[in-house]
Amino acid sequence: MLEEFQRIGRDLFLSGLVSSHGGNMSVRMGDRILITHRGSQLGQITAEDVVETGLYDNDSNIMLASSETPVHRTIYLQTAGLAIVHAHPKVAVALSLIEEEIVPIDNEGSYLLHKVPVISSEIASGTAMAGIVAESLQKYKITMVRGHGCFAIGQVLEEAYQWVSCLEESCLVIYYSRTLGGQTKEFRKNADQYKKW
Amino acid sequence: MGGWVGKIARINLSTRNITVQDLPKEIAVSYLGGRGFGARILYDEVGPEIEPFSPDNLIILATGPLNGSKAPSSSRFSITTKSPLTGTILDSNCGGKTGIRLKDAGYDMLIISGKAARPVWLLVDETGIKINDAENIWGQDVNVTNNNLLAQVANPQTASVACIGPAGENLVLFASIMSDKSKAVGRGGVGAVMGSKNLKAIVTSGTSKGVAADPENLEFIVYEARKVIKQSPITSIGLPTYGTSALVRVMDMMGAFPSFNFSECGFEHINDISGETLKERLLVKQSACWGCPIGCKRETKTTRGAGEGPEYESLWALGPNCGIHDLETIAEANYLCNRLGLDTMSTGVTISCAMELTKRGIVDGIKFGDYQSLLTMIEDIAYRRYQGDALAEGSLRSAQKYGAPEFAMQVKGLELPAYEPRAMGVQGLAFATSNRGGCHLRGNMLGPELLGVPKIVDHSGASGTVGLLIYHQHLSAAIDSLGFCKFGGFAVGDELLARLMTAITGTEFVPQNLHAAGERIWNLERLYNLREGFTNKDDTLPKRLMEEPLKSGVAKGRVVNLAPQLEEYYRYRGWNTDGVPKKEKLKLLGLEA
Repeated sequence: MLEEFQRIGRDLFLSGLVSSHGGNMSVRMGDRILITHRGSQLGQITAEDVVETGLYDNDSNIMLASSETPVHRTIYLQTAGLAIVHAHPKVAVALSLIEEEIVPIDNEGSYLLHKVPVISSEIASGTAMAGIVAESLQKYKITMVRGHGCFAIGQVLEEAYQWVSCLEESCLVIYYSRTLGGQTKEFRKNADQYKKW
Repeated sequence: MGGWVGKIARINLSTRNITVQDLPKEIAVSYLGGRGFGARILYDEVGPEIEPFSPDNLIILATGPLNGSKAPSSSRFSITTKSPLTGTILDSNCGGKTGIRLKDAGYDMLIISGKAARPVWLLVDETGIKINDAENIWGQDVNVTNNNLLAQVANPQTASVACIGPAGENLVLFASIMSDKSKAVGRGGVGAVMGSKNLKAIVTSGTSKGVAADPENLEFIVYEARKVIKQSPITSIGLPTYGTSALVRVMDMMGAFPSFNFSECGFEHINDISGETLKERLLVKQSACWGCPIGCKRETKTTRGAGEGPEYESLWALGPNCGIHDLETIAEANYLCNRLGLDTMSTGVTISCAMELTKRGIVDGIKFGDYQSLLTMIEDIAYRRYQGDALAEGSLRSAQKYGAPEFAMQVKGLELPAYEPRAMGVQGLAFATSNRGGCHLRGNMLGPELLGVPKIVDHSGASGTVGLLIYHQHLSAAIDSLGFCKFGGFAVGDELLARLMTAITGTEFVPQNLHAAGERIWNLERLYNLREGFTNKDDTLPKRLMEEPLKSGVAKGRVVNLAPQLEEYYRYRGWNTDGVPKKEKLKLLGLEA
């Protein structure tokens, strides 16, 4: 499992989806969770950077765990996720500042994500934010917190990482297509349904 | 209630009393259907004092909310009972049309109790339920029974027959129930329980389709679901082209293909029995369960017979696991099991156990590789003749009879499937903790450990994948309750399933609802088994898998190190160290006493 944290953490950092000490990851194992250490560098994870604590209850390890542990717990309690990746994809964050929701227009983003909701919360780790992020992730694989970053769930870390990576690519396509100007040509059957997803 | 008809029929074969009651919505939403309904009712009504062959044991034939809808790959119905083979709670399901026709007739579920004085068959249609005399068809094989009964119903095109063959009548402990001739409700002896009730067949017939709560949204979700099925090479190429036997070479290449009663791994003649060879030599045409775009079924023929299959598990159990590589013989053994109403997997693994006892000089019986005696032995089991009478009790009891239970490759009495757990990370744990015994369909790690669905994970046995197994156990319980097919599950995930449920039922479902229902069902099944006297000592594997290192293949030298995985599993599940769910866990699941 440590290798999985190291592999995904390094890829998140190298692909620019988190800054040096940004983001966090966790995995649920039944009624326990493994989560990255508070302030750890995802690109440089060591054994000490992965902390085990309870899903329902605290133990002393909570002092070491990511400050966003309550958000992760709430997500696990309210969704089917078994792994969470929280990252700060730059283009997606920028787009979240001007959109109510992100609807990919590229083929892969449409196929895999359909639609990504954008929610607002000023405090990164508050109970209120935990609730609305978790509620959103009940229906969606990935959710943007406006001006902050995304939370993605999967069965394994790699799957959650894929949604983050896919979202950022879709946002780049939206950005490029808008920058190029002109009318985009629709290629998807039921294209209007994606907004209703 | 879109998705559910809202009606349950209770049939007492002793008194011939038939009553119809409403399905409570809270039960429908909490347990979904199929396996979930069966678990709830069996727990409430069949206690430890009731033996599997007692008239008080129940046969619960339950449909799921996706059955009969436009959702793809969703024709599976479930039968739940107390297993005569294992003594555990048992549900087994298949993709025949019996469940869909039951819903079309106006029922979500049949709960059958009692024992008929003489052989009978049931007709369930839109006009009601009738108990008919079956003395003229008792003794007939599955194909003849099926044809005979379809000839007696008004509208055979909209009818489906689920019946037992001679094996069920003779109380073979692993007798199956066959739907539409070739779709097996295979495992654990459901057919024997039916035989013990003198119930030869259940014929369901109807045309009344339910209406989805949100048809427009359903169209789009179904379109998306079919798209992901079409995109996956597993569901769009592998299974349609080669059937489930596509796995033969894949599993062999991965070093996870057992042979010779799990005493070896890999098979010298693998190309003689592969999916490619089956396609080239025996395939007549591809077929599919109702409404399934995958089409993994095979209609095949040999020089001496024709039928459906063999599936991967059947091909392995009756072939390499018995040291047999004659593909025609394996296919004919499969046809024969289907006609006699025998579970192909338990039949093969029970025979392979007998073969190993012969090899070790413990008995003087059938030998590994003796393909000429295989068909005779299968008939002897179904009719309880000669050595077949002992084998009709399953691998564990027959090996115990000869003082060598360690050579029975089973868990809790149910024979193992075609996955070598020493070559996989937590597949052994999956077998050990399965509530119905040694089974690959209760949380199969084939997807994440070998096929890369959703992603490939470490399958060296290292710590970390126990949580993933728990996730798959819950999802499997939900899928079995919805009436969905696990092969469809290689492409269609929990998100699409939840959206299908919302559009069909009108009740909002999110993936977590499905997992929560799955966890509730899993824990209820566990409580059932604990009440029957099973303990954590029964969460184990045959000694061979834990003590004999693999002799060859990519996992050469490995054994299953079960104890630490089990400790982790209980802890992650919120169970105590004895494997008993804690009060807090039961409260969270709404299962407190």
